[in-house]
Amino acid sequence: MNKINHDQLLALEHPFIKIPVEKLKSSLRTSQKYIEKEIANLTDKVAEISKKSAQGTMDLNQVEAALEAIGTRLSTLKRKLKDSRTDENLYSQRTKVRLQHLQDFTSISTLDSDEFSRWSRVRLNRIVVDYLLREGFRETASLLAKSEHIEDLVDIELFAQSAKVEQALTQQSCAECLQWCKENNSNLKKIKSTLEFSLREQEFIELARERRPQEAIAYAKKHLTPWQETHMKEISHVMGLLAFPPETKCYPYKRLYDKSRWNDLTALFRSNNFALQFFTPEPLLNVTLQAGLAALKTPMCYQPQNRNIYCPVCDPETLGALATDLPLSHHFNSSIVCWISGQIMNEDNLPMALPNGYVYSHSALAEMAKLNNGKITCPRTSAVFDSSQMKKVFIS
Amino acid sequence: MDTFIKDYDKILKKHSALETNDPLDRLIAVVNEAREKIRADPSSVNTSLAALGKSVKSASQTISDEHKEVQSALTKYSKAIDKKFTAEAMSPINLHAFDNRQHILRKTIALHYIRQGNFEIGDTFAKASRVLSVKEAGLDIPDTIRHQFVEMFDIVASLKENNLEPALQWAKRHGNELEKRSSTLEFKLHRQKFLQLLEARQTQEAIAYARENFKDFGARHTQEIARLMCCILYMDRINSSPYSDLTTANSSDDIQHMFTRDFCRLLGLSYESPLYVSLTVGTQALPKIIKVASIMKAKKTEWSQESEMPVEIPLTDDTKFHSIFACPVSKEQATEENPPMMMACGHVVCKESLNKLCRGNTTQRFKCPYCPIEAMASQAKNVYF
Repeated sequence: MNKINHDQLLALEHPFIKIPVEKLKSSLRTSQKYIEKEIANLTDKVAEISKKSAQGTMDLNQVEAALEAIGTRLSTLKRKLKDSRTDENLYSQRTKVRLQHLQDFTSISTLDSDEFSRWSRVRLNRIVVDYLLREGFRETASLLAKSEHIEDLVDIELFAQSAKVEQALTQQSCAECLQWCKENNSNLKKIKSTLEFSLREQEFIELARERRPQEAIAYAKKHLTPWQETHMKEISHVMGLLAFPPETKCYPYKRLYDKSRWNDLTALFRSNNFALQFFTPEPLLNVTLQAGLAALKTPMCYQPQNRNIYCPVCDPETLGALATDLPLSHHFNSSIVCWISGQIMNEDNLPMALPNGYVYSHSALAEMAKLNNGKITCPRTSAVFDSSQMKKVFIS
Repeated sequence: MDTFIKDYDKILKKHSALETNDPLDRLIAVVNEAREKIRADPSSVNTSLAALGKSVKSASQTISDEHKEVQSALTKYSKAIDKKFTAEAMSPINLHAFDNRQHILRKTIALHYIRQGNFEIGDTFAKASRVLSVKEAGLDIPDTIRHQFVEMFDIVASLKENNLEPALQWAKRHGNELEKRSSTLEFKLHRQKFLQLLEARQTQEAIAYARENFKDFGARHTQEIARLMCCILYMDRINSSPYSDLTTANSSDDIQHMFTRDFCRLLGLSYESPLYVSLTVGTQALPKIIKVASIMKAKKTEWSQESEMPVEIPLTDDTKFHSIFACPVSKEQATEENPPMMMACGHVVCKESLNKLCRGNTTQRFKCPYCPIEAMASQAKNVYF
């Protein structure tokens, strides 16, 4: 029971490793593209020079100047590459650190070891940082990462760009998000994203709202028609807006004019962005916490007389409230916990029933009897019994 | 995992080669060389340029080849990650369970960090949240809690420096409450102080201290006190004596642990942060939940709406907080309507199962399904765990 199934738990760490590796891959690709472009240019230049020189249209001085220009350009390229190399090194180093972190985990063997609780604490901090970043608490996230020394285990930078785009969307501007779409065009196609179309739709809707039909039509011609094969129906819908004023009550135009569409766009951008960067769609905190709360939740947690201060779900102010809409845990097997000592009752510490039907562990009752001349006081009913009156209970 | 890391190291090596042995340097050298050559021997301009064209081509080929090599190794590695860390969809049990409860979640997080003694995080977070949404502040954590934890961490800091005084004062101040919870903290603190004195070879002072402070604990800790007093005899070779466990180094961590536990208990809080407990349980539960969810999805059945989990998630002993009684006959969990009943022999089944066993006749004798004893259902008694 207390043994760790490493493979199972490692499987949960997919984003942890995947994110920096993909990031390394993409920054490497960027620099590669850049280099290839520059070199193609360079090859052309050299060919041109040697052609011109052979034809005699270029004298020696010009050749030398041209070669010098090439040399300078190469040096500039090298300098510029340095920046993206810094990026690459950051992510390659980060991957290395994370792999090592997981490697350390595989050497932990039991759930009740100090090493495991240390690992769990780091995991908690990682999960919380992820949550804070998604919720826009970047300052707190950085502070936490710093104070817990887990900067390499979290992805703070990756939220900088998306935060800008999101902010623009909340201020009802599509430009930044469209730019982002352009940068990530090929990957967005891979996940069959409709984000760009939705943004175009929105820009059209705003033109219609401002009653600028000429511009709207021109916009639609330019930006909506490329989507006709897949989105004809939507295009005809939004075109209908030209006939209806923004205050229309007519469905579906009312819905298209609705400002809440901006929130949908933000949500769509977020989910696309997470998918592209291999983040889980929902914060890991929500995923993990819900799993934990559901595993712990019992009907007793909500009965004041059965409250246990050690049980997270029993706190109605915090986690108990969060667990309200989660399913209860399910058990085929009994496990009886002593109300007095909190110990699990089993063959080594038998459950004993008092004459009033209340059951406590043998060790707790024996200790109580020892301190009180053989008398036992039931802590829940205050009834007093003699220790000889307790009776073994068998839980099969 | 080992080979997995080795594979990555190989890629890393290739990648750093891109930088240390930068082909761009070679390219620059080639261009400069051509320039020198032309300058030295202007008549060779055309052949030099032709040669340059060739070497540029080959150099650029190497550059793009080297890049492609790293690139493809990475792509392969990325696929290997998918295989090793099987990426099943990780989604919450109920997507909307935390809707309108974000403020509670934030409060839980802030409390967690206050309890860890990381007050700065708790504070920055609380501040940022308030700015974000004045309405649903949620982070109105009472200052008293904060002050209490500041006190606790101050005392723990002293304990770490082997200064027991603040802890002792606290324990004395809360003597009655600690006594009620049969805590042995105060005695353990005195014991530690006594051992500290002995280790400093202040035997006289130690004995005086024992006289002064152990007397109140005579009834409860007679044996322990006897041992403590006896170990004075062996102080010079304590490690090879029967009293080798009595060193302050041994018990220092225990005392810190005990102190924080008792401190939290008096506040009505658990020793472990509830967020930590929940997340640790959640991490262990997730693999199973993900698996069930994927099976359910394949069968096209939903379970998030159900009031109970479809599988049993095993808990470690330290995270079992409530007695769970599952009837061994019906396999159902006991409820208020269907409570656990102890038969005359001491075996327990749920009420409904009991009614079935006696076929509705409470005065009919029947055999317990788990032992040979026969009894009547009317003799069975409601038990409370």
